[in-house]
Formats: sequence, structure tokens, C-alpha cells
Amino acid sequence: MDIDDLKQRWDDQDRKLDIIIRLNTRLLQEPVLNKAATAMTRLSWLVLPEMLLNLIACGWLGSFIAEHLHAARFLVPAVALDLGALALLIAGIHQWIAIRSVDYSAPIVEIQKRLGGLKVQSVRTTKLVLLTAPLVWTPLLIVALKGLLNLDAYRMFSHAWLAANLAVGLAVIPLAVWIARRTAGRMERSPFVQGLLRNILRDIAGYNLTAALGFVSSLARFEQE
Amino acid sequence: MAKPSRQERFLSLLDEHKKILYKVSASYCRNLADRQDLVQEITAQLWRSFDRYDSSYSFSTWMYRIALNVAISFYRSESRRTRNTVPAGESILEIADDRGAVEPDDHLVLHDLIGQLDELDRALVILFLDGNRYDTIAEILGISETNVGTKLNRIKQKLRRDAARTV
Repeated sequence: MDIDDLKQRWDDQDRKLDIIIRLNTRLLQEPVLNKAATAMTRLSWLVLPEMLLNLIACGWLGSFIAEHLHAARFLVPAVALDLGALALLIAGIHQWIAIRSVDYSAPIVEIQKRLGGLKVQSVRTTKLVLLTAPLVWTPLLIVALKGLLNLDAYRMFSHAWLAANLAVGLAVIPLAVWIARRTAGRMERSPFVQGLLRNILRDIAGYNLTAALGFVSSLARFEQE
Repeated sequence: MAKPSRQERFLSLLDEHKKILYKVSASYCRNLADRQDLVQEITAQLWRSFDRYDSSYSFSTWMYRIALNVAISFYRSESRRTRNTVPAGESILEIADDRGAVEPDDHLVLHDLIGQLDELDRALVILFLDGNRYDTIAEILGISETNVGTKLNRIKQKLRRDAARTV
């Protein structure tokens, strides 16, 4: 079949559609127009609790830092955590503004490039958070014990124990990537691994980032050719 | 005579161009439930953007941009089928005549062919088949007119090659 046949069929369909399709205005007026929340507005709501959580973390860590300015052993882990939370908060605000300002009536390549860029940024952030999570555990333990229970983790656990935890955290990163790469592909077809878990595996394995970057480059080719 | 409300004006324009909803959703989704979700998503986005619609421009161009942008994002999204607000069994676009005028044969052949293309080429072909001029297609997609011509030629050649292979 060539494009002329395709056009002929398309025109035939067009004529038939004139007669047979009808807009259900009752349904439109009730749920659709009244609750016109689109995928993007839902996504922007999803970003909000994350932003709030990071804001609370920044505030709490800020006051912890102020209280322990002269105690380097508490100050250093708290500053590291605060910088992480601040970076996530800034990334979240940036993402929220970008999502809210997407104008779908702009040309397709322009909008898809923006959405593609947003996806790349979001996947990169998630991957970074997932991969650094095992490293965060030790400073979090030190700061949380001191800040919430006024307990000194350095006295409760030996320095060697804390250092070993950090080392294990470092070792877990390449191991997690290796396991995710080995399992993510197989889990695609598993009826038990769906949604969030599958997405986490794909994020760690780097598949989601590859897909997002692939789409961005296909847009660039489409624009240039 | 009273001036029509914003919603009435929107519904009237949507009714006038409802075929775009059908064609775009049918070209990007194979199964009926996904198509209904996509129609709902496009309609919601059109309504949310309607305030910014400048009536001195063509409604169909504006609608194509939104419908195709939403369809491409929907097609790429992994969270499909989780956001029904419309009761099951009801649809915004109703096929008033179920004597098989469009579905299943014509519909399947036509949209199977279009479905072989990637999401961007598919948008281009839909616009071309719907009789849009190269400059309009270029404006909707955000690429040059020359680019539109080049891409369409490639797609035509691909279809010819595929057809020759199947003979």
C-alpha cells in the first residue's frame, strides 16, 4: 500500500466519521470539564509532598547545624545531609515550575523537547537519590540520634563500626547497579513486579535514563533532518 | 440573543472538530480503553488551555497541537490506565452507528499501518492525511516546510518498500 491508498482510506474513514461519531456533551460537562486535572497537573501535585518533605528536612537540619556549629563530628554529617536536601529541594522547585509552565498548544517538537528534558532531569535525580541512599544511612543515623534523642552515635557505636557502615554503603552502589541490570530486563514480563518497583529497578539499571535520552536525541534528529 | 458562555463556545468548537479527537486517539492507542482515556486526557487539556486560545487563529491548528502533544506524552507514559474519571462503559466520543462502518476492518488496517511509524512520524502522517498544507504541518510540528517535505518523501518510500516486500 502506498501513501495514496492510505489517503484514500483516510478520506473514506473521514466521511463515515461525519455520520457516526457523536460527542457526549453530558459526560463532558460533568466529570471531564469540572475535574479537568490533566496528567501534568497530577504530576505537579505529586512533586509537592516531596518538596515539602525536603523543605522540612532543610529547616530541621539548618537548626541542627546552628546548634552544633562548634562540634565538627555532628556538623560535618549534618552539612552533608543539608546540602543533599537543599539540592533536592531546588531540583523539585525547578521541576514544579517547569511542569506548571508547559503550554501544550506550542509546537510539538518544542514541547516534547521540554518534556523530554524534564524526564531526563527527573530520572537522573531519582537515580542519584537511589544510588546515594546507602551512603546517607550513616550520617543520618549520627544526626538523627543526636537531634531527636540527644544520643551520641560516636559513643554508642565504635568509629570502626561507623566507618564499616560507610564502606558497605559505598560497596552496595555498584552491586545495586549490577543486580538491577541483571533483573530489570527479566522483571519486565513478570506479573508480580509492576509499577513503582519495576520503575526503581529500571532507574537504578539506567534503562529509564537511556530511554529518556534516546527520545531527546530522536527529537533532535526529527528537527534537523 | 445571549452570548454563549465560555463552556458552550468550547463545546461547540469541540463538536465541530471531534474527528480530530477520534483520529489522533485511534492512531496512538490500539485498545479501546486506552483510546477512551486518551480522548479524556486531550479534552481536559484542551479545556484547561482554552483561556489562552486566540480565536484569530485556526481552532484546528491549535487543537492538533494540543491533541498530538498529549497523545505523544500519553503514548510514552507508563502510567496509562490509572486515571479514569469517566464512569466505565461511557465514552466522550460515541460511535452512534455500530454497524461496523469504521471498526473493525478499515480502522485496523489504516491504524495498523500508521502504528508502524514512530510517534513523531505518526503525527506528521496524521496531519498530512487530514489534508493539511505543508506550511500548516510545519507550524504545528515546529519544523521547517522543507523538512516536512523531506520526511513525507521518506515515509512514502518506506510504505512503497514495505508494500513491495509483502507482495
